[in-house]
Amino acid sequence: MKEEKLQKLLNGLAKATEEPVRPGLAEDIKDQIPHRLTRHRTGLDTVSIIIDLRINKLTAAAAIIITLILCASLLDGRDLPGSGIYQDSKMLVKHLLSAQGLGRSEISLARTRYEYLVEKGKEAAYYGDSVDPEDSNAVLMQWRLSDGKYRIIFGDLRERTVSAEELVKLQSRMLQKKAR
Amino acid sequence: MEQKPHLAHLIHRHRDLETGKEKKYLEERQDSLAARLRAGNHAAAAELVDIYHGQIYLYMRRLGHSCQVSEDLTQESFIQAWQHIGQLRSAKALNSWLYRIAANVSKRHIRKYRGRKLFSMEAADLPDSTEDEYNKVRHLEQVGRLKIAVERLPVKLRQVIVLHYMQYLTIAEAAEAAEVTEGTFKSRLNRALKVLRNQISSEDGELQ
Repeated sequence: MKEEKLQKLLNGLAKATEEPVRPGLAEDIKDQIPHRLTRHRTGLDTVSIIIDLRINKLTAAAAIIITLILCASLLDGRDLPGSGIYQDSKMLVKHLLSAQGLGRSEISLARTRYEYLVEKGKEAAYYGDSVDPEDSNAVLMQWRLSDGKYRIIFGDLRERTVSAEELVKLQSRMLQKKAR
Repeated sequence: MEQKPHLAHLIHRHRDLETGKEKKYLEERQDSLAARLRAGNHAAAAELVDIYHGQIYLYMRRLGHSCQVSEDLTQESFIQAWQHIGQLRSAKALNSWLYRIAANVSKRHIRKYRGRKLFSMEAADLPDSTEDEYNKVRHLEQVGRLKIAVERLPVKLRQVIVLHYMQYLTIAEAAEAAEVTEGTFKSRLNRALKVLRNQISSEDGELQ
């Protein structure tokens, strides 16, 4: 009986302390639901942070392109040791643009970068007008680095630094494919 | 969409559900929600907010946080939930998983602002009652005294009372939410009830 009485009072207290929630609270919380609810993969930190910020896709793309240009300008397209921002940025741009259904997004991005490099007086070559946009191994563009090597960007935005000989091999492979 | 409040109500009162049909419906909905959450479904996350945000907010309020802080902590709990979605094991663990996250968020806040006074719970208007006027007033007086007694409890004891008697979690769920064994939870619950009984009894001989 004593126990029941106390439980009844506790139930009464539960009812008495119920209070309405601010109407906008649920929406405020929903606004913070990240796009990806699964655990982020290692190495995609920059991408995850920017996606989770839920900023407008075009704004995000613009911010990333500026970052890419800065990286390209300052680091010759290489990441700082231990930092993956440049590689992550490329992945983010791919994510954002592919979500918008822009099929030739990689080519557009490479072209922007080519124009920037040319403006800076770099020896750059752009093949985006002639390569197959579906071919991820096609060389989209290349430019000469200060150490005599070449930096190349493939169709899927992968990047590699190659020697002049390797570049010739890659280009001849591309020509052979085209001839077929 | 119209079923959401119904589901929220069922989850909130799941401990007292009597009909098998209601229980089955609740289990099915919870299974579906948990599965979609684990798969990273965005709509399921929004549904989780619809169902639980009121409960988590009230939980924070009943633990003694102010309105504004409770809102912030409720938001923080859900943000933490998104980050720990992988820890949601099954539909049955949905309640305890979310409450455990909320309890940790509250604990961290209390630890961070140690020494800052916790607020008292706000009691609303008189609950509807069929009792006559005298009994109603008497009941309210006792509820008022009980409220003060609950507020005076140490945080750990207050938590068990709130989880089990005010948020309606089962012993198993509440123990998991408090991150203690069921035995420890029951022991804390008994201690808390004893303190409450003593405090009210000292002013009201009826519970002696």
